[in-house]
Amino acid sequence: MQDYIVEMRHITKRFPGIVANDDVSIAIRPGEVYALLGENGAGKSTLMSMLFGMYEPDQGEIYIRGEKVAFHSSNDAAAHNIGMVHQHFKLVDTYTIAENIVLGMAPMTKKFGIFPCVDIKRANREIAELSARYGLEVNPTDKICDVPVSVRQRVEILKMLYRRAEIMIFDEPTAVLTPQEIDFLLQIIDGLRKDGKTIILITHKMEEIKRIADRCAILRRGKLIDVRSVAGTSVQEMANMMVGREVSFDQNKPKADFGNAVLSVEHLTVENDHHFPVVRDVSFSIRSGEIFAIAGVSGNGQTQIADAITGMLPVSSGTITLDGNVITRMPIRSRAREGISYIPEDRQGMGVVMDFSLQENLALREYNRSPFSKKGILQFDRFREYADQLIGRYDIRSGQGAKTQMRSMSGGNQQKAIIGREIEEHAKLIIFVQPTRGLDIGAIENIHRQILDERSRGAAILLISLELDEIMKLADTIGVIYNGELLKTAPAEEMTSQEVGRYMMGVKEA
Amino acid sequence: MKKNNYLLSSRLTGKHSSVWVSVLTIVLTIITAGILLLLMGKNPAAAFYSFLQGCGLAPKENYGGGSGMLSDLSDFLNYLAPMLLAALAFIVAFKAGLFNIGIAGQMLLSGFLATALVGYSKDLPAGIARPLVLVTGIAAGGLMGALIGFLKYRFNIHEVVSTIMINYIISYSTGFFINNKYVDMLTRTSRVCTPQSRLTLTNVQIAGVSCKVPLGLLIAVVMAFLVQFIFDRTTFGFELKAVGMNRQCAKYIGVGVGGSIVAAMAFSGVLAGLAGVTYYLGYTNTIIPKTLVGMGYDSISVALVGNSSPVGSIFAAVIVSIFQQGCMLPVALT
Repeated sequence: MQDYIVEMRHITKRFPGIVANDDVSIAIRPGEVYALLGENGAGKSTLMSMLFGMYEPDQGEIYIRGEKVAFHSSNDAAAHNIGMVHQHFKLVDTYTIAENIVLGMAPMTKKFGIFPCVDIKRANREIAELSARYGLEVNPTDKICDVPVSVRQRVEILKMLYRRAEIMIFDEPTAVLTPQEIDFLLQIIDGLRKDGKTIILITHKMEEIKRIADRCAILRRGKLIDVRSVAGTSVQEMANMMVGREVSFDQNKPKADFGNAVLSVEHLTVENDHHFPVVRDVSFSIRSGEIFAIAGVSGNGQTQIADAITGMLPVSSGTITLDGNVITRMPIRSRAREGISYIPEDRQGMGVVMDFSLQENLALREYNRSPFSKKGILQFDRFREYADQLIGRYDIRSGQGAKTQMRSMSGGNQQKAIIGREIEEHAKLIIFVQPTRGLDIGAIENIHRQILDERSRGAAILLISLELDEIMKLADTIGVIYNGELLKTAPAEEMTSQEVGRYMMGVKEA
Repeated sequence: MKKNNYLLSSRLTGKHSSVWVSVLTIVLTIITAGILLLLMGKNPAAAFYSFLQGCGLAPKENYGGGSGMLSDLSDFLNYLAPMLLAALAFIVAFKAGLFNIGIAGQMLLSGFLATALVGYSKDLPAGIARPLVLVTGIAAGGLMGALIGFLKYRFNIHEVVSTIMINYIISYSTGFFINNKYVDMLTRTSRVCTPQSRLTLTNVQIAGVSCKVPLGLLIAVVMAFLVQFIFDRTTFGFELKAVGMNRQCAKYIGVGVGGSIVAAMAFSGVLAGLAGVTYYLGYTNTIIPKTLVGMGYDSISVALVGNSSPVGSIFAAVIVSIFQQGCMLPVALT
């Protein structure tokens, strides 16, 4: 038996305007959980895409079980028992779970002895057995579009197992999961390790690495910084190596200096398309210099509150007042002009136009005003200038600067662009919804600092987050939402995170 | 890494690659057609040459009295004008995320109205008749487009469904009126329009041969550059593109999405209307009742071969028109 099951030697990969991997060498032992840690855009996914045959390296060699390989497609990689769970799942929505898993290598049968067709009964049976064996509970006949994200991920894992993968690559598997689902996934990964599989985990979350990984390679801006045994390395050390400087986990929050009420929401009710109230009789107000955080389990109406304030959703009843003006029925653009900035939850779906360039996206709030346009004609010089300023100020990294297409940028940098664009409006009220979801620690630290800076500037801030830690760290006032109702509103220092957690579960008086 | 969604991203980015896509499409078309011709036992080179001959881009062996290569060329350009306008109509809607499959109907409606309202007024001088034809085409197409946009925005009726249905309505209702009021008993089509209302000058002697001068071509080329400018440089075009690529984001930045949809369809309809009057009061000068022109659908391929670039579609329109117009000759020869 060789020492290493996977070896990647001196790998270099360039894309237009960027060196994604610069002379990276890693070696992975059979049966270990090997973590790749790095910020967004550090080159982790690119490195693994090469191992999975989606790209070919410009320089360097890949060895599997000591044998040199050159993959031209992911089929070649699959033939060497390598499997990958992508960050964005590759599943056919309208197929059943079993159909998705066997797709491409389905068990065949001959109907009436001649007509070849897929033996779906056998596939269902096999999938049921497989899922029972690994504790990955799924119902093989459910359609993908009907099952939640966590189950889709299980389907992806089963897909690898069905293809007898021995080396399994997980690309940011926990980004889309809730804390409970993360626990479950880590158990599954541990089970796979006990079963002798080799796991490569791409992540930027230190806690997960601490909990599950044996060794950890740290990448920064395409270069391999170090490979450490996880047991002998502290979270702080890993974070510092990943970001390349001293990271502070505790932001020192300046003393609060509240002014007058900027936003007040009274008896707000919002209905969904089926006339079912998703926000019920919610009232709160935010003063200037105050961070009002809404805590709650996902899907309890928090994003609808943000959408109602910004005008994306119509208000059924109640009033919204901004700086003394009632804005309940005002058009979206007028509200923005009155002083509302909005960092939406769905970045790619709402926050940016993916097929616009970075400079166009950065100008989305300003394009129809002087100096960005004059008499209806766009002034691209000004677009360019403004984009260059923001790229510097908010550390937005992209392959070709201001002209880079949004679609080709990493999720973290897309979010930086949105936040930069919205903060630059210097609005009276800034609404952040899930501002740091899926981002790495360096980016999170920056965004938290920006939120606190805006608070010091005197903005009223509405923070909606599923991360309790984030809320406890930043909020001046916490409102807990459950089933569309604000169950409890109190100054942050009067509540512990346990109490907030209990209200989030709908316990009225703790 | 994220793979590009090809159809979306090709709409406006990667100038070089988009040109290559168009060129490759054309080359593959010629190769495929060549193989088919070979299988039929014909000489592809001769066939393609005859396409060019048919369009007046290559000389024929002999010509009838008073005509020459230039006559064929002018015929070709006469056909090109409505083709390009129709392609632009498709592009405008497509960039705003709308699929205007009703161009043929919009062409017919505007052509019919211009014929009925202006085309038979023998007393109108050309200086008034021609602008009136254009205005009628613009108004009829624009209003029809706006209606389709309104149906989509207000009642959520998909434009593909509404335009297909409206195509039939227009085809049969105009057919009814032509057959009852405007029919030429001999040809069974509508009576020809007056020369002073027609957008093509006929029997113009150039270099000793009789040619047609399509005034619509000038309008079409100007429109191509205008549409390009609107989408590249104006806030209006910027908003239409944003609506086309991400309706949710357009709403989020405060673009009136409903208004944009109506505006885009009205604009598309205006161009289709212009295509209609240049076709029915230029290329043909008559309307066959109850018949939608194939050009309404050919224009979709023109737009897509041109990679939905307005200026690029000038070239695509030339190529597709060569196939359409040039095929008259080989068919006649065989």
